[in-house]
Amino acid sequence: MPAAIVGETPSLSTFLKSLKSTDVESSIDLFISLLKRRQIKNSRPCALATAQLLLRVVAATRIRDVQQLIDRISEVGRRLVAAQPREMAVGNIVRRILGVVREVAEEDERDGSLGSGRVSGAASPDPSEARRPFLTKTFSGMSPLGQSVTVPHDFHPRVKTPMIEYTSPPGFDASAEREVKRPVLPSSASYAGLPPVSSLLSLLEDPLARSPIPTPPPGSSPRIQPMGKITESKEKIDVKAEVIDGIKELLDELEVVDNQIAENALDHIHSNEIILTHTSSQTVQKFLMTAARKRKFTVVHAEAYPNNHDETHATIVNGGKKGTGDEEEVDERWKPLTSMGITVILIPDTAVFALMSRINKVILAPHSVLANGSLLAAAGASTIALAAKSHRVPVVVLSGVYKLSPIYPFDTHELIEYGDPGKVVSYEEGEFMDKVDVINPLYDWVDADCVDLYITNLGGCAPSFLYRIVADHYRTEDIDLGGKGSS
Amino acid sequence: MADASIPTPTQEESKVSPAELKKRAKAEKQARRAAQKEQQGVVVNGDNLAAQATEAAPSTPSQLPKVDRPPKAQQQQQKQPKPSSSSQPQAMPVRQRPSQSGAPKPILKKDAPKEDHKQVELFSHLYTQSRHHTFDGVSKDVHPAVLALGFQISSYEICGSSARCVAMLLAFKEAIQAYTTPTGTSLARHLTQHYLSPQIDFLKTCRPISESMGNAIRWLKKLIVEIDPNTPEQEAKDDLCELIDAFIRERIIVTDQAIAASASRQIRDGSVVLTFAKSSIVEKTILQAHANGVSFRVVVVDSRPLFEAKSLATSLMHAGLEVEYLPFSAISHAVKQATLVLLGAHSMLGNGRLMSRIGTAGIAMQAAKADIPVIVCCESVKFSGKVALDSIVLNEVAPAEELLLRQVAKQSDIPEEDGSKGKPSDDAKSEATKVKTMADWKDITNLQVLNLMYDVTPAEYIRMVICEYGSLPPSSVPVVHRLANEGM
Repeated sequence: MPAAIVGETPSLSTFLKSLKSTDVESSIDLFISLLKRRQIKNSRPCALATAQLLLRVVAATRIRDVQQLIDRISEVGRRLVAAQPREMAVGNIVRRILGVVREVAEEDERDGSLGSGRVSGAASPDPSEARRPFLTKTFSGMSPLGQSVTVPHDFHPRVKTPMIEYTSPPGFDASAEREVKRPVLPSSASYAGLPPVSSLLSLLEDPLARSPIPTPPPGSSPRIQPMGKITESKEKIDVKAEVIDGIKELLDELEVVDNQIAENALDHIHSNEIILTHTSSQTVQKFLMTAARKRKFTVVHAEAYPNNHDETHATIVNGGKKGTGDEEEVDERWKPLTSMGITVILIPDTAVFALMSRINKVILAPHSVLANGSLLAAAGASTIALAAKSHRVPVVVLSGVYKLSPIYPFDTHELIEYGDPGKVVSYEEGEFMDKVDVINPLYDWVDADCVDLYITNLGGCAPSFLYRIVADHYRTEDIDLGGKGSS
Repeated sequence: MADASIPTPTQEESKVSPAELKKRAKAEKQARRAAQKEQQGVVVNGDNLAAQATEAAPSTPSQLPKVDRPPKAQQQQQKQPKPSSSSQPQAMPVRQRPSQSGAPKPILKKDAPKEDHKQVELFSHLYTQSRHHTFDGVSKDVHPAVLALGFQISSYEICGSSARCVAMLLAFKEAIQAYTTPTGTSLARHLTQHYLSPQIDFLKTCRPISESMGNAIRWLKKLIVEIDPNTPEQEAKDDLCELIDAFIRERIIVTDQAIAASASRQIRDGSVVLTFAKSSIVEKTILQAHANGVSFRVVVVDSRPLFEAKSLATSLMHAGLEVEYLPFSAISHAVKQATLVLLGAHSMLGNGRLMSRIGTAGIAMQAAKADIPVIVCCESVKFSGKVALDSIVLNEVAPAEELLLRQVAKQSDIPEEDGSKGKPSDDAKSEATKVKTMADWKDITNLQVLNLMYDVTPAEYIRMVICEYGSLPPSSVPVVHRLANEGM
């Protein structure tokens, strides 16, 4: 099904194909070089490739103990991140897979320590005491995260907060109490949606007790069931199989993320709206298409010259699926919005401010979202967001959770990648290129206060809430991949 | 600037086969236009066009009645025949036309009503005038100098509010010299009404006239009316020409120097000056500051589709300045380094807002947000009594094709690819399978392309306006307008 050119230029699809045949180490090297050469770029391809590669890595690793697996994944992850630190999706996926491993490991340990005596779902103080020696290390490491998770909930944990910092058992008390306070939990937890991968809450809870919590991603249900089975049958968990399941689930999530985001479309787009968007994002196209099935509106599309305008034009003319590299989905027909009766107005980036007074909503697709609610998006996004802010136009950002990075933008400048100046001025103009500094930044940093709403695959949330979702998806010990790492 | 040669369609005749092709395409288009005009009941010069079309393309008579695309495509044919000419390096990339590359497609696809769908509804009030690019239908009264100017303006060879104003006045000078008062009337009464008006009307069809041109025309009309009827004709004409020269000198040339001198004092050692598009005053200011020995850096931001700033960057580069050149999408990065934003103006509106090349508002907004002073350099001749709240009501819509052209020219491989697939023309049948490009935008229903010329920058983003009367806050613009343009 892929087009003919795939064979020649290395891209995501060639990489994924080669993944099956080549051995792990050379696959890693290949991915690193593809990343470095920007032959795999943008969040989604990077995330997909990372997940697939780590799946291979996990499958190929012989593990005697979980720590070894964690070390291996973080070692590979470190190399990948170092190859292209600005593709944050790579790091995000590595972190989430590490989270999967850790979760599996903890369940394993818990099962081991609890033995066969454990029947009920609620964690009683006694078993927690019994496994304390095992868990002290990870638990104390997680205490800051634990606080950030517990604080928003209610006053119960707040009372215990000081104790959490000293010892672990109170934490278990808190968890036990939360088990009792079940009715409160699902509502707040479902806000974050409890994605397939671990959250602190799920860590503290019993896997059995967790299953009633609504888990929106369709991929998550298959995993919980086998786990419950395993726990019930009191066998030792097959760590590797569990981790592979977790990664597959992550891949499933990457596949359905656009659809999940698009499900929210009708809640946000009403008839006769004028919506401004930017770049050729697949997520945004899907979102708009979903809305277009029911409602008529107008889309004003800024073209993102000079880095993305060709793709943007292609998207407008031929529909959402872009042909840049990831052809493996090419069979899925993406109708252009225009064919669904939606008026699409193409404008150059310069006209954004002029038109903003008539725009009802701005929909942006980020490159990555940072933990404080700010985001990195294609160059020009900052102007759009600012213009929207000055016209009091709501800015909606559509982002899969995989784009959500636990990084705080202390220095926004270093997050920006600079692209090929030849796209701005042709290299044929030798003297100009020689004497004038031609600069072509690829990304813009948009502050959190310019964004009104994030729509992730878990639902909508305010930018100020994103840190919670970060806390739910990444372990503190994994946040700093480059540094001391896991252990 | 006004002395570029008149581009004439007759140049086509000298070429052999490509010219023939183009002629055919042109004839087809004229036929289309004629057909549209007939449909709309506007018989301005439809017959004329159709007649010309038939004689221009006798070999393809069957194609004539067929209208395959909306006839809005009013491009610049007179430029088309010489794409390799280096005399207008700036205008050429924008002026190329994708649809003329192949033979005309004999497929009846869209009717004239479709035309409306290609106009953005919000701006429907701005589409009223289609741009004039040929001699057809031009009133015989239009002086050749004005004719040439009109084509130069419509092809952006003369671009910019003050340049257009100066060029217009110079052309009017020639026109006035060529004028003879008919017997039985006086120059003061006849000249404006019957001679100057058609010239102005013609210029208006080439591109909507700028505020500076409007102010100059108002001044000139007033001047003509005030001429003593007893003055001998030649003397009156000489007087007029002298006064026009004085106007250009006082209101534009010397003014520019004064503004440049004043604004260049805002540039200090170590400054980083950010500017957008191309303004002759800003260029003068920067060069003046450079000549004064100030060491500073210039960041030039450019935009599609005109890429005006490139020539600014080139001239600054040749002057030995340190120049940085960024695309419009990068303005947040440009603003990060800048210490001063210098902007030119198309017009300063009565409510203190700045009307300038589209994109200026975005720059001013980013700069104002970063607390970087935004300074507008503007001659008082560009001050206007009009007011506007947004960029919608007062604006100019340029032909949407201009937005596509460069990109199409750049991806020249696409038609080749199509060719290798062996179906360059019959995309109507295989519409579902063929990968369309932006060049086909007219065939795609619901797709519109908007190419605005100006936007309006809110007054709160502007720290200072420098004009020849001094430096003012934007709120003082109406005062100066009264003083300069109405009080004289």
